[in-house]
Amino acid sequence: MSRILLAFRAFFAILFHGALSAELKSDLGLAPSPARPSASSGPAAPPAPPNPGSALQLLAILQRDSRLLDFLMEDIASYEDEQIGAAVRSLHDQARDSLARYLSLQPVIDGVEGAYTRSASGDPAAVKFIGNVPAGKPEGGVLRHKGWRAAKVDLPALNPKQDASIIAPAEIEIE
Amino acid sequence: MEPRYVIGIDLGTTNSALSYVEYQPDADPFALPKVELLGIPQLVNPSEVRDEGLLPSFLYVPGATDFTAGSTALPWDAQPDVVIGRLAQKRGAENAGRLVSSAKSWLSHGGVDRTAPILPFRAPEGVPRFSPVEASRRYLDHLRRAWDSRMPDAPFTDQQVLVTVPASFDAVARELTLKAAEQAGYRNLTLLEEPQAAFYAWIDRHPDWRERVQVSDLILVVDIGGGTTDFTLIAVTQKDGELSLDRVAVGEHILLGGDNIDLALARLVADQLAQKGTRIDALQLQALWNNCRTAKEKLLEPGNKKDEEPVTILGKGTGVVGGTIKAKLQRADLERLLLEGFLPAVSSHDMPARQRRSGLQELGLPYAADAAMTRHMARFLRQQASEAEQGGVRRGPSGLACPTHVLFNGGVLNAGLIRERLLGVLNSWLAEEGLAPVKPLSGEDLMRAVSRGAAYYGLARRGRGVRIRGGVPRTYYVGIETAMPSVPGLSAPLKALTVVPFGMEEGTDLRIPNREFGLVVGEPAEFRFFTSAVRKNDDVGHLIEDFGEDLQELAPMEVNLPAQQDAADVVPVSFETVVTETGMLQLWCVARDGRRWKLEFNVRERVEG
Repeated sequence: MSRILLAFRAFFAILFHGALSAELKSDLGLAPSPARPSASSGPAAPPAPPNPGSALQLLAILQRDSRLLDFLMEDIASYEDEQIGAAVRSLHDQARDSLARYLSLQPVIDGVEGAYTRSASGDPAAVKFIGNVPAGKPEGGVLRHKGWRAAKVDLPALNPKQDASIIAPAEIEIE
Repeated sequence: MEPRYVIGIDLGTTNSALSYVEYQPDADPFALPKVELLGIPQLVNPSEVRDEGLLPSFLYVPGATDFTAGSTALPWDAQPDVVIGRLAQKRGAENAGRLVSSAKSWLSHGGVDRTAPILPFRAPEGVPRFSPVEASRRYLDHLRRAWDSRMPDAPFTDQQVLVTVPASFDAVARELTLKAAEQAGYRNLTLLEEPQAAFYAWIDRHPDWRERVQVSDLILVVDIGGGTTDFTLIAVTQKDGELSLDRVAVGEHILLGGDNIDLALARLVADQLAQKGTRIDALQLQALWNNCRTAKEKLLEPGNKKDEEPVTILGKGTGVVGGTIKAKLQRADLERLLLEGFLPAVSSHDMPARQRRSGLQELGLPYAADAAMTRHMARFLRQQASEAEQGGVRRGPSGLACPTHVLFNGGVLNAGLIRERLLGVLNSWLAEEGLAPVKPLSGEDLMRAVSRGAAYYGLARRGRGVRIRGGVPRTYYVGIETAMPSVPGLSAPLKALTVVPFGMEEGTDLRIPNREFGLVVGEPAEFRFFTSAVRKNDDVGHLIEDFGEDLQELAPMEVNLPAQQDAADVVPVSFETVVTETGMLQLWCVARDGRRWKLEFNVRERVEG
C-alpha cells in the first residue's frame, strides 16, 4: 500500500511541480549522496514540462459544467445503453457549451471530408498525410479528417491561492 | 457638464439590464436613435469575471467556506463582501440560506419593514442580513461600476439615468427605489414605469408608429416576467393636432410569473417519478426546476413538433451515469398545465380567487393565491370598468375596458403558445362585447425591451421622440378619524380624504382647499395613508366615508416637529401635494404662517388592523 502511495506522490509531484521534493527524493532513495561530487556535468537536463495548470483548469471547467471527468472515470460497462444515452445527452450539451465559451474551435482545413483537397502545409503536426504517400511532399489528397485548431483560448486567470490540483471539490451536504 | 449618454436601467425581479444611447443634439430628429445594451462584467464562476447581457438580480452573502480567498474579486473591488449576478445565482442554488433573491418584490411588500435587514429571509443565525433597499442599492451600485469600468471616458454620474419600476409600485416602493439609487451614488435620476418603457421600445423600433395606431385606440401592455405579472392600459389621444399617449390604468402588483410555471412543471415531473418509485430530494428538485425550464423553452420553440423532451437529473456522486434519473416532459402535460392551470379560457366575469386569510400565516412574500393569469387580466379590465370614464377608455356594453391593441413584454411571452392563448381569451371577451379582435403589436427582444425603452425615453425628455403622459397612477388618501364618543371594542370609523388625485402630472402641486387639521408639535404625529388603483374620479379634497376593499392601507406617514417654545401645541395646518419631476410624491403640512413640514413615509412594520 505504501508503495502505491509513494508512487502516486511521486507522480503528482512531477505532474504539478515538474520535480521531486527533497523529502520525496529521500523517501524514494534518490537523494544524492553528499559525498558524490556535484561536477557531474553530463548532458543538459531535459526542459521542464510546461505548467500543467491550464490543462487541469480546462478539465476542471468541463467537470464543473458537464461532469465530464465523472463520466470518463465511471465504469459504465454494466449500464444499459439507454441509461448511458440519457446521461450523455445532457452531459454532451453542457460540455460543448463550455468548450465553446472558453475555446474558439475551428477545423485545420475547412473543406468537405471525402473530397479532394490541396494542401500546401509542410507541418506534420497540422496536416498528416496517410495512405500511399509519395516520396516527395504531396500536393493534396482526399480529406479524411478536417482536424481541430483552437483559434482562441480564453481561460480565466488562475487564482494563485487556489490549489490547482483540485479538479472538483468534494461535496458534503448538511441536512 | 452636459450628459453625453442617456442610460436606461431595468432593475428586474430576477434579471437587470442596462441600455444606453448617445445624446446627439445635432442629429436628424427623424433618424432612429441607436440604443445599445451594455455587457455587464460580473462573476460567472469563482475567479472568472465575464461580460453578460443581463445581471441576475441575486446577491449571495459568502461565508468562510464558500469561495477561495481572492476568487470573488471584481475589476473595481478586490475584496467585495457579497457576490452579485450569475455566480450568486449559481451558488445560491446550492446554499439557499445565504441567497438574497426577489429583493424587488420585498421592496413593494408593505407587510415588512423594508429598511430593516431581513434578507436572506431564511438565513441561519449569524449570516449578515441586508434590507430590501440595501440589496437594491447593491445591484444599482454594481451597474454603476460596470458602466464606469466599460466607459471610462464618460463617468456614470455625469450621464442622465432612468431607472424603471413596475407601474404597480406604490409611492413608498418608488421612494425606496429612489433612495437606493441615491445611496448607490446616482445623480440625474428619473423613475419610469416598466410597461411604458416597453412601449417606448416598440416606438423606437417602429418609426412609422403613428400609422399603426390612431386616436381613441387603447393599448393593453401585458408584462409577464420571471416573478411578476403586470397589466397597463395606454390610450392614444390627440393633443394640438398631434397623436399623444396617455397611460390611463395600471394593475396591482401580482407575484406570479414564469418561475411559477417552471416550478409547477418540476413538481409534475417529480410526481410522475414518484409514481414509478423514484423520490428526489430538494437539491434534485432544484436541478429538475432548471431542466424543466430548458425543456419547456425547447418544446415551445416555433417549429418544434416533438411530443416530449427528456429531462435528466444527473447522478449526485461521482457515479454520473449510474445515478442518473431519467424523466420526460410530455408536450400534452405542458400544454394542459399552461392552458388549464395558468391560462384557462375563462369569461371576463371570472375573478381570481382571493387570498386566503388563515389565522396564522408564514411571513414572506404575498404570492398570488390564484395562478390563472387570464383571471387576473379579467379583473384588471373589469376594475377599470367599475368607475366612470377616465381618459378615453374604450368600453364594451358590459363595462369591460376593451383594448384595441396588445403589446407583450417579459421573457415568458417569448412562447407563441402563451401569446396566442392570451390573445384568444381576450378576443373571446371582445366578441362577447360585440367588438373586433385586438391587434398584437409585434414585440422585439422581450427580455431587454424595458431598458432599451428607458434609454429611448431619456431622449424623448430632451425633445427627441414622443412621450407618454402618465402622472400618478393611483389615488392617495389620508385617513381621518371621525370625532365621536369612543365605544368599547369599536374603533372610531375612518374617513379617507383624497390628497392626490389619479393622473396628477409630474412637476405640479396641489393644495387641499378649505380643510385644516390640528397638527401636534413636540412629539411624532402619525397619519394613516391609503391608496387605490381603482377609484379614479376622486377629486382632491373629496372625503370618502365607506370605502370597503377599494382602498389599501400603506405605510403610515410620520411628521415630527420640534415645539417652538416649550409647550406642546397644536398647529392648524393644511395639506399640500407635490409630484416632482422625477415622479416622486411628496406631502407637506403647511401652517397658516407659511411654515412647512414634509410628511415622511414610515416604512417600519405596519400593524395589520
